[in-house]
Amino acid sequence: MKISKSIYLFFLPGLFLYAVFFVYPTVSALFYSFTDWDGLSSSFQFVGIDNYERAFTGDTIFRKTIGNNLKFMLVVVVFQTLVALAFALIVLKNNKTTVFLRALYFFPTILSSVSVAFIWSFIYDPSLGILNQTLELVGLDFLAQNWLGNSNIAIYSLAVTQIWFHAGQMLIIFVAGLQAIPDELYEVAKIEGATKWQTFRKVTWPLLAPSATIVVAYTTIQSFKAFDLVFAMTGGGPNNSTEIVATYIFDIAFRSYQFGYASAISVIFMIIIAIITFLQFKALRSDRISY
Amino acid sequence: MKKYALLSSGVLSLSLLLAGCAGESTSDTSNESGEDSTQISFIHWRGEDKAVLDDIIAQFEDENPNITVEMTIYPSEQYQATGQRLLQDGSTGDVFTSFPGAQFEAIASAGLFEDLSDEEFVSNFDEELISVGQKDGTQFALPYQLVFNMPVYNKGMFEELGLEVPKSWTEFQEMADTLLENDITPIAFPGADIGPNQFMNSMMMNNAPDEDIFEKLQNGEESLTNEWWVKTLEDFQLLEQKGYIQADALGTSQDSAMAMVANEEAAMLATGSYHMSALLGLNPDLQLDLMAPITVEESEAVYEGINTATFMLAVNSKSEKKEQAKEFINFLSQPEIASQYANETGQHLTVNDVEYESEVLKNTAYWIDERKTRFQPRFLITNAQIEAAVLSSIENVLGGADPMTAAEEAQQLVDENRE
Repeated sequence: MKISKSIYLFFLPGLFLYAVFFVYPTVSALFYSFTDWDGLSSSFQFVGIDNYERAFTGDTIFRKTIGNNLKFMLVVVVFQTLVALAFALIVLKNNKTTVFLRALYFFPTILSSVSVAFIWSFIYDPSLGILNQTLELVGLDFLAQNWLGNSNIAIYSLAVTQIWFHAGQMLIIFVAGLQAIPDELYEVAKIEGATKWQTFRKVTWPLLAPSATIVVAYTTIQSFKAFDLVFAMTGGGPNNSTEIVATYIFDIAFRSYQFGYASAISVIFMIIIAIITFLQFKALRSDRISY
Repeated sequence: MKKYALLSSGVLSLSLLLAGCAGESTSDTSNESGEDSTQISFIHWRGEDKAVLDDIIAQFEDENPNITVEMTIYPSEQYQATGQRLLQDGSTGDVFTSFPGAQFEAIASAGLFEDLSDEEFVSNFDEELISVGQKDGTQFALPYQLVFNMPVYNKGMFEELGLEVPKSWTEFQEMADTLLENDITPIAFPGADIGPNQFMNSMMMNNAPDEDIFEKLQNGEESLTNEWWVKTLEDFQLLEQKGYIQADALGTSQDSAMAMVANEEAAMLATGSYHMSALLGLNPDLQLDLMAPITVEESEAVYEGINTATFMLAVNSKSEKKEQAKEFINFLSQPEIASQYANETGQHLTVNDVEYESEVLKNTAYWIDERKTRFQPRFLITNAQIEAAVLSSIENVLGGADPMTAAEEAQQLVDENRE
């Protein structure tokens, strides 16, 4: 079948959008990362690799934000994936109860970040918050904490909120992946006398790898870019303990008016996310088994 | 034919897309009588003032039928992020507001302030209070509000307990001990949000009476590891260790801290005069006044409090409607209009001859003329990263760090960010 060349015109709107909203900002960020542009003035100077040198050797907070981001990402990726998978296994079969539970677990996802931040800030409030009050009510007051005010645990408190916020979204991906596994494979495993754990390890998990890859990659990217929750709940404090790269870029660009330097950090950030995501794809794909 | 249809579809798609992306220009509109009027854009961050400003704008439009004002209010964080970028092409923010300090410096450096030095309406403002809107002798912006960034205290509670306003650090501690003995938390400190950046001002004002201290810090002549800042951090540590501020202060939001004062669980709110109206809204029976901790002995005290002239009105240098913009600022600086704004928002203003009608404004107006206050030191830190380092050292100490260690860590950040 001969395809008319004019069919390629249909690519133009998409290409245009991609160029305007992705290529142009990315190239601009790369360009400005070699300048001292303040984001407001019409003039700037090229500073070579000074911004990159500063990020790697002269910026303690930037290095701290990378550490915070990694802590946040590890907790969120591990627990969000496990929680979503566990809940997906619970609500896998289609009946009224599981459909209701799926909707219930998915519900936080449809809330706005600011609403979630408001709800959880109230939950975590050390004196008025429902979490500490509940702990005290059930006699576990020794577990009550200053959840967002203690610099040792604040980042993990944010991670819990992030997991609550997004696990439902990942659950749906897992449910779709689980439902795509042919029943025959489970029947064979049963006939062969496989235990539930063996069935999960040898049948479910390998065939779930594509879904798990998406979940892990998406969760990683999402946790690296969890700007809104952090911004609204702690603003990066106390003492920069919850400052992550995304909020730091905001501070540098919009509070310090150092767009050139913020662009350099953005470029580094993009490369870090790309590397981690690539490694995850490689690692998870190596687990795939063909039948 | 099919080929042309496809081509047309492609071109149409692109045209629609471009049309969708195009901006809309609304600079000239018609007023009610059908005459052409010039619309000016007024951008700021004070959402809580919308009602009174709407009313003032309506009065302005009645007096100036050829000018209409389109007011756009941004949340303060968003205003810092996007508001000033809108100024760049001159189509938005013919009249805009600026924070003093880092934002003022950045906008001035970008050349976005119109010079207001020779405008007649400048004389409507208190000369001493508008210096913060000047740079190199040029009046770029006119601060409108006068805020006292020092603790609000429950005057009625003090009278009931026979307490007087302390004049020294020793007296302050004695006062705090008396409050604790009466099961009252001396200071409600909203450490999760604005507490550190507000309370640092009064905590350091007498430890470092030199008003150029942060300028010196930024140019390397001073250090956070010197006596003035380490002592300030030690004072914060003392407040925390003796229970003068509530437990888990770094997790306490300003709403929770305000509730503590409104419920009379705490005697002072470590924020500023701008919260007095809200506190009275929560508990109308409160009798409130302002009080800054004097952290030195009485004989060494130089200042009694902190003031900030803020909400700085300015004209966009890129605007094509500068005259109309100036007319609007002139209108805002008229005493009767300023009085309306002051009384309905519960703010003191920098405008001369304002008549304060609300009790709380009248009762605290003596701070404008009769007390020795200094401009908020935090706003004299023009580098936002250095400001963040200073504030993080307070959080560090309240989180349990040794004051000298916290000062050293903060100084390292200052050194990294010094220009």
